[in-house]
Amino acid sequence: MKVLVAVKRVVDYNVKVRAKGDGTDVDLNNVKMAINPFCEIAVEEAVRLKEAGVATEVIAVSVGAKPCQEQIRTALALGADRGIHVEAEGRLEPLVIAKLLKGVVDKEEPQLVILGKQSIDGDNNQTGQMLGALANMPQGTFASEIKVEGDKLNVIREVDGGLQTLSLSLPAIVTTDLRLNEPRYASLPNIMKAKKKQLDVYTPEDLGVSVTSHVSQLKVEPPAERKAGIKVEDVAQLVDKLKNEAKVIS
Amino acid sequence: MDFTFNEDQLLFQESVREFLGNEITPERLRAAWDTDTGRDPALWTQLAELGLAGLTVPEEHGGLGMNALDFVLLAQECGYVALAEPLVNHALAGVPLLQDLGGALAEAWLPKAATGEARIIAALEQNLLVEDAHVADLLLLERAGQWYALTQGEFSLQHNASVDPSRRLFTVTVNDAVQPVASGDQARRLRLATLNRGALGCAAQALGLAQRMVDMSVLYTSDRQQFGKPIGSFQAVKHHLANVAVRLEYAKAPVHRAAYAVAEDAAGAGQAVSQAKLMACEAAGLAAKNSIQVHGAMGYTWEVDLHIFMKKAWALANTWGDAGFHKQQVAGHIFADDAVLGAGATFQ
Repeated sequence: MKVLVAVKRVVDYNVKVRAKGDGTDVDLNNVKMAINPFCEIAVEEAVRLKEAGVATEVIAVSVGAKPCQEQIRTALALGADRGIHVEAEGRLEPLVIAKLLKGVVDKEEPQLVILGKQSIDGDNNQTGQMLGALANMPQGTFASEIKVEGDKLNVIREVDGGLQTLSLSLPAIVTTDLRLNEPRYASLPNIMKAKKKQLDVYTPEDLGVSVTSHVSQLKVEPPAERKAGIKVEDVAQLVDKLKNEAKVIS
Repeated sequence: MDFTFNEDQLLFQESVREFLGNEITPERLRAAWDTDTGRDPALWTQLAELGLAGLTVPEEHGGLGMNALDFVLLAQECGYVALAEPLVNHALAGVPLLQDLGGALAEAWLPKAATGEARIIAALEQNLLVEDAHVADLLLLERAGQWYALTQGEFSLQHNASVDPSRRLFTVTVNDAVQPVASGDQARRLRLATLNRGALGCAAQALGLAQRMVDMSVLYTSDRQQFGKPIGSFQAVKHHLANVAVRLEYAKAPVHRAAYAVAEDAAGAGQAVSQAKLMACEAAGLAAKNSIQVHGAMGYTWEVDLHIFMKKAWALANTWGDAGFHKQQVAGHIFADDAVLGAGATFQ
């Protein structure tokens, strides 16, 4: 079984992001970038499927500018067999990314595509679902457990109030939730080996996809700063403030 | 001339930093203090799985075949988290010494060192108390001008208390029946090479410790308020930390130069290492002193993590040769009749 895993380059989760002075975007100057944590979970799951003898090949794909190859190399160091970079500049909305991934799916014909449920920068939570629609493949989103049984894929999903188990026919799409697994660290020997693994580069034209954007980002601003708290004299004053200022009780 | 670290070395540093930063918290260090060995077998396994135990083991024995220059940035990261496991001694002193000893001993132990199955600990005669002897699978010990390769059972240990609860120190007595594996000129050569590697490991860790103490202090002084402002905004506080940052920055180049000299087995390696250890440990010492100052009374307390890094910095300053010893080494180089000094000799 061939498994395709999508990985996205995002600002490292430890970094406190700042808006640019002119409010046009997030400031990415000298900011540490990393693989999206949900995508890392997707890579880990694919590698585990390979280690279990279920998957035969794991391909890591990323869409974006050239620096995305760093994240593909990270995925290769974590255990993916080869990489595909779809080189595209500028802001890419989920629909464009889904179309480009659909182009890769058509080329590679994987049995399983694993994506993070969302990226920690855009928080869109759309790409996997859009890819499912475009590729006409069944999807199991927010997966906390997956198991391949014959030509079926059982997916346990985390839904409001409990767990839902789905059985998908392959080929299928899965998006990962945080509890699916705990990603490993790339070992130093594997980091060395990753540099020698195959990495193919495609352009959107190679895949027959137009990267025309349908969404414009108008403004980016930081959240309002929290006001300093105050000390109240007594319970009566607290109740008064909750009732008349915060208006959280009546 | 390109003095920068290459892409692989920086990538390794970043990977190791991420791992150590996530896994080695002060809470985990404190938890190990209460155990019998003071060491964390699960952590050693993780370090080995990451490939760190085999980094300096030759490729033919299952390692990565790297050298002191490749390891120096990683040793800095080990210092940054005050790693208690004997990784720096193993990779930077023990494994290269084992390689130098060669023969059946190296053939038998290097593959185990590569996988982390065996911890190789090196100790010089001047290290009267041997750290981590209790967890050494192979202890390479210099005594009376001879080297011994000892497995558990071939020596006895007497525990010595340390001010740093992360350190486990022992007086080692070699069993009478054990024969040395090197003596005479060979033992002296091994001694010099091992001293350089061990002292380099101390220097690199001291850089990491100094950086950690500065970072902790910057964080604390940005948060702690007095007169309605963070105390870090006051000159009398921030200058303390700026002085450490300057000292630390000036210490980095000598340490990296020493790593290059050790990796290349250069003629001036001893002098370069002594200079590096002096400067790095002075930076770490100043970092400890000034960090206590800017933390105020909090800095003295057991609950604040600062003391973990401070005590390790103090300990490193006096192992693998103290300041007096290394100053004499540098003086010996400068005042030698055939000393080649001056700008033209900087890169020789």
